[in-house]
Amino acid sequence: MSATESSKAARLGADPTGFAPGRWVGRVLAGAVIVFFTLFFVFPLVWLLLAPTKSTTQLNGLDGEHPLSFGSFDQLAENWNALVGFQDGIIWTWLGNSVLYSGAALVLTLIVTIPAGYALAMTSFRLRRPLLVATLMVMLIPNTALVLPIFLELSVVRLIGSPLAVILPFSFFPFGVYLAYIYFSTSVSRDLLDAARIDGAGEFKVFWRIAMPLATPVIALVGFFNFVTNWNNYFLPFVMEPGSRKMPVQVGLAELISNVPLFNPTTVSSITISLPQLALATLIAVAPVLVIFLFSQRFLVSGLLAGATKE
Amino acid sequence: MGRQRVAKRPRSRNRAQTLIGYLFSSGYGVLLLVFGVLPMAYALYLSLTKAGQFVGLDNFVKILGDFRFFPAVQHVAIFVAIWVVSLIVLVVVLALIVHAVRVRWLSSTTRFLFYIPGAFAGSAGVMLWLFLLDPSVSPVSVVLGQFGFTSFIQTVAQPNLPVIFTVIAFWTGAGGWIIIMFGALNNISQEIMEAARIDGAGPIKTAWYIQIPLLRKWIAYMAVISLAFGSQLFVEPKILSLASRGVVPKDYSLNQLAYLIAFGPQGDFNGSAAISILLLVVAMALAAFFVFKGGLFERD
Amino acid sequence: MSAQHHRLPRIRRAMSLTAAAATVVLLAAGCSGGTGTDDSYGFPAVEQVPDSPITIWVDADRTAIVEAFQEDHPEIPVNIETYDGNSGGSDSFHTKISLFDQAGEGWPDVVWSTQVNDASWAAREQNGVQAFAAALDQGVIDQEWLDGYTANALDPVTVDGHVYGVRDNLAPVVFWYNKALFDEFGYEIPETWEDYQALGDKLAAEHPGYILGSIGDPFTAVLTNMWSAQAPIYTVDGDTFSADFSDDHTTRMIDLMDHMFANGTLAIEGLFTADFPAAYKDKVLGIPGPTWFTGAIIQNPDILDAPAGTWGAGYPLHWEGEDIATGNVGGGFWYGSSHSKNLEAVGAFLQYAVSGPRSVELITGLPAYESTASEWLDVQASSGYWANSDTFKDVVSTGASNIWQGWGATLAFSSEPAWAEIVAPALASGGTIASVVDEWQTKYENDAQVNGYTVK
Repeated sequence: MSATESSKAARLGADPTGFAPGRWVGRVLAGAVIVFFTLFFVFPLVWLLLAPTKSTTQLNGLDGEHPLSFGSFDQLAENWNALVGFQDGIIWTWLGNSVLYSGAALVLTLIVTIPAGYALAMTSFRLRRPLLVATLMVMLIPNTALVLPIFLELSVVRLIGSPLAVILPFSFFPFGVYLAYIYFSTSVSRDLLDAARIDGAGEFKVFWRIAMPLATPVIALVGFFNFVTNWNNYFLPFVMEPGSRKMPVQVGLAELISNVPLFNPTTVSSITISLPQLALATLIAVAPVLVIFLFSQRFLVSGLLAGATKE
Repeated sequence: MGRQRVAKRPRSRNRAQTLIGYLFSSGYGVLLLVFGVLPMAYALYLSLTKAGQFVGLDNFVKILGDFRFFPAVQHVAIFVAIWVVSLIVLVVVLALIVHAVRVRWLSSTTRFLFYIPGAFAGSAGVMLWLFLLDPSVSPVSVVLGQFGFTSFIQTVAQPNLPVIFTVIAFWTGAGGWIIIMFGALNNISQEIMEAARIDGAGPIKTAWYIQIPLLRKWIAYMAVISLAFGSQLFVEPKILSLASRGVVPKDYSLNQLAYLIAFGPQGDFNGSAAISILLLVVAMALAAFFVFKGGLFERD
Repeated sequence: MSAQHHRLPRIRRAMSLTAAAATVVLLAAGCSGGTGTDDSYGFPAVEQVPDSPITIWVDADRTAIVEAFQEDHPEIPVNIETYDGNSGGSDSFHTKISLFDQAGEGWPDVVWSTQVNDASWAAREQNGVQAFAAALDQGVIDQEWLDGYTANALDPVTVDGHVYGVRDNLAPVVFWYNKALFDEFGYEIPETWEDYQALGDKLAAEHPGYILGSIGDPFTAVLTNMWSAQAPIYTVDGDTFSADFSDDHTTRMIDLMDHMFANGTLAIEGLFTADFPAAYKDKVLGIPGPTWFTGAIIQNPDILDAPAGTWGAGYPLHWEGEDIATGNVGGGFWYGSSHSKNLEAVGAFLQYAVSGPRSVELITGLPAYESTASEWLDVQASSGYWANSDTFKDVVSTGASNIWQGWGATLAFSSEPAWAEIVAPALASGGTIASVVDEWQTKYENDAQVNGYTVK
């Protein structure tokens, strides 16, 4: 990364015609585009982070409040209490469900996916190629396309409503298998494995002692993508877990709309969710993923590239 | 590629590895069967039968005759067209500009900021945009006012929806693609870029004649993936429909229609399966085309 | 290579065995659902578990009555869950129940729906699963209690002679008016739609900014105005549906609404939006609407919050030279689940909700249960809140007994989404209702067709 960055730095900067007027117009234009899009991506986030600190009237801007102003910690506490008090703290139930579904799927995915990637990359067997091609195909099919077919299938075996109806489909992660496959075939040398074999190590030992320690980055990567995809999945748990005490937080969040007076006409002010509370719920719903995004930035960016290139 | 090498090894080694190959891929293989192949086969079976009796294409005929079907196809098609074109243009332009930024921290920070909204993929992102699109609470109500939108109903009027969904999808998804394009741009060899510079090509010419052609595979990849994903539109119109009290119809997209046909007044799983099959055929065709013609994925 | 050939059949067999084993596990997991049944309710009820908690689905409005029930019956454990109340014909009630049908579990015990037509599916078996709604008249609730209903109030939930739900309120449309404003402006209360429109012209000219109603919600525009106007746009005869948009009643009402929307005396804001009270809190001269406007709009502290003595109820508006006929906006039903493990508690709650000690206070419109209704009317008339205490009872009962029967209230699809989807956006962008009448009609006919009606 750093080598390419520095050589890239030499590229435009060393341009002798850098002060030509045409160049400058181009640069200003490019700068404007970047500023505009940075605002586009960041502004809604900042606004959302501030929204829970306000009252409804402040959020509406009725009292001349600036959209990017900070309300108060008291107001934040009030919104927090109202939200966690809603239906006896159902938001915690939803978060717990999300953790269960995404967490169990994460473990299962890693158990199934990493060895499969290893098998595809490092061993040879008759079904290897069909499996690889099938993996690529299914990987490119959006998971939404399979939701209703999987629902119909699982309803035959009467699994709908069981946590397995979400965990098992969540654990089927062809993209992860492809990542692991690419990683093992490019980053782990066969000679190293062969050397271990000559030393008398069995196939299991070769995998566990040699390949696995080298695979930490791809394990983290597969785990990350699997967790984030599943945590944010809406359609599958929406149909599989219709009970309001079984739904994950992404589905529960959408259900909250029914309690927001602005969006639902039959609502009077008895038990309702105010807009700042809805904003808070939105933040809570993505909090785990957001934290992962914020604190593993460098890892993530390189991971995204690794996932996309075969190097 | 590894096969000849394997063949030279002792027979027992070969057998052991084959066994490990099957063993290690078996868990995934079962999942692939149960959650990849079987659902498709079962949906196909359902779509060709009614109450267990083979009925040929009756379910498809019925679906094609449903007045909600073609509007849904049209909604999805318009959305996908706007979405894919704007995604390609903007992602490539932004990646090129960010790539041209010399200051390293600025470049990486920008990429990071573009990527962060990806955490809001799914219902949370739609929820956030609900706020932004409702002039009565939106911090950008002035901008909405510029377009003549003074109420939520006006903002989410049907002709605006493809653009709204594009904006939401772009906000959550573009950052990831920009990083991927950025990586691909980094892979372009320094000599080629240098040669272009010596030939006197400016950044625009370099981009047009050198960089973009070399990004072709990646652009195609992005187009295929976003086409396939766009055709599956569900959560965005679903939530907007809830929030707009039906101004955004509950049968706006094909997946919503498939959902309604299965679980709404018709209670027709066979018809719903027929829509799923149609959507799957599109997704499979795109996937197959790309796997076999795209040349991006290693399948040795 | 040859080695692989030899290994393959065995491996293949192993693979298929694995798949088969997985399927068996899946099947076994699903087969454990068999439980005993109880036939004493006239349908296959599950084994009853006394004192087991019941889950009640309500919209936010109805949480109050459920909380009252919790206070008065602490011995029955209740979980309250809110949903959109199926409002606006969202189908959320139906689609969610279909999902539970497939899950084979998870159904709520009691569901509140603002719609009138849910018995059309809830009283029937769907995809091999028994009807969701429990027949109530064979043991869940005493027939004697059911007999206390106002005549015909239970018609929409009576299927094949059995009752599948209990009605919360009757929602006949009357004309609500701000007497204080009428007096101040020196206007007469309109009696006919013609008076109403003429009053609109006068109001627009003399007091711009004041309004005589809203067409921002499907329930005001369609159920209040079109139904009250006796517009035959949503009618059913057996299995035949028809939508006559060229009928004189239809065109006159559409012209009226277009005319009054254009001169600003009909608002476009929905009554429950934040915009409505912000713009019109003290500027509503009058508004046709169902009886539940009392608590939900007029007395609602977040909407009109009208002080006592300012508002009154006028007789339903009608066309000049025709008899009084009026519309009906929902009314709302409670359904019990046929899958409930505690039908005794379900029955107790259903009765409590419509005729319990707090029902007079908490039902916002004219209650459907006769004894509750007469008490409610007494309370309203004697409260001194209404400007026309002397005629209030008569106005409401006139509305209740003159609901126009030509409207297809129990059609399997709702009349509301078409307005939200087609007409509301047209109005919002400056168009007229008349300009989208064809799309509106097509939408109804299409809906009728996919729901299995013959379209005439």
